[in-house]
Amino acid sequence: MAVEALKLIREGEEEGRKLIEEARERAAKLMKDAEEEVNRIKENAREEAKSLAVQISDKYAKKGEEEERAIMKNARAEVEKLRSTAESNLDPAVNLVLEKILGLR
Amino acid sequence: MGATEIVEKIKDEAVSEREKIISAAKKKADELIKEATAQVELQKKSVIKAEERKGVEELERIVRDARLNARKLRWTAEEEMIAKVLEEAMKRIKEVKTSGFKGNSYSDILAGLIRDATMSIIAGSSTSSSSELEVMLSAEDASFVSPELLKNIAKEVSTEGVNIRLSLSDERIKSAGGVLVRGRDGKIEVNNTFEQRLARFSASLREDIVKTLFKGR
Repeated sequence: MAVEALKLIREGEEEGRKLIEEARERAAKLMKDAEEEVNRIKENAREEAKSLAVQISDKYAKKGEEEERAIMKNARAEVEKLRSTAESNLDPAVNLVLEKILGLR
Repeated sequence: MGATEIVEKIKDEAVSEREKIISAAKKKADELIKEATAQVELQKKSVIKAEERKGVEELERIVRDARLNARKLRWTAEEEMIAKVLEEAMKRIKEVKTSGFKGNSYSDILAGLIRDATMSIIAGSSTSSSSELEVMLSAEDASFVSPELLKNIAKEVSTEGVNIRLSLSDERIKSAGGVLVRGRDGKIEVNNTFEQRLARFSASLREDIVKTLFKGR
């Protein structure tokens, strides 16, 4: 009877050890999975950062191009106006130069 | 306590220990992921901030360059128009020689330039009461100045107590027009050729050209 009881107790202890051993293995697996997940999150973040950098850079480059186009368009229009004004004032300006170099002013 | 109860107790304790181990691992794993996620979010914000700053700087550079190019475009146009005026003025000198300018014949114009040059020499020379000066012209302009004209100019400028004699040099100068007056000894001269006058007055002329050319813009 006593032998039977001891056997039962040993079996129970063995079962308990197994339970704990399995729990430790599961815990190790949980940690390994978590570390992998962390690596995946970091890798995704790196990729996202690269993509974000390109998007932001493109956004400002596009905005820059638009502003540049507008500035140069205005400048060209202003130059056209300038040339037109100058053409209409060409004769008085030439006369002014002539007066000076001919010694008449 | 019987054996069965002891076994049950052992199992209960093992189950409890198992739950503790797994629960602690889960908690630690969750913390790891949470920490990594928070760190990544912070890095993302930092990346966005840095890239936005770089973007703004790049935008400012593009706008600055564009404004500079716009100014260059305007400046180049202005310079071209000023050069056109000067070129046109030099071209019209030929017309002035045949038709005069604003009621002045070309001879009158040359006479004025000779007079101015002579007065400058008188003003800049020592107290000598008599000076012999010679007038140099281009081959094309020689026919516009007669000895009579020079005599009259000399007479005009000599009235201030200085006796001036002007003669036409046989030496010819290469010039679009105008005169060069110099002392016989060659020590003093006033160059009133158009090219020299243009160079001499270029700064003030430029201002006047700009004012006239772009008036009303």
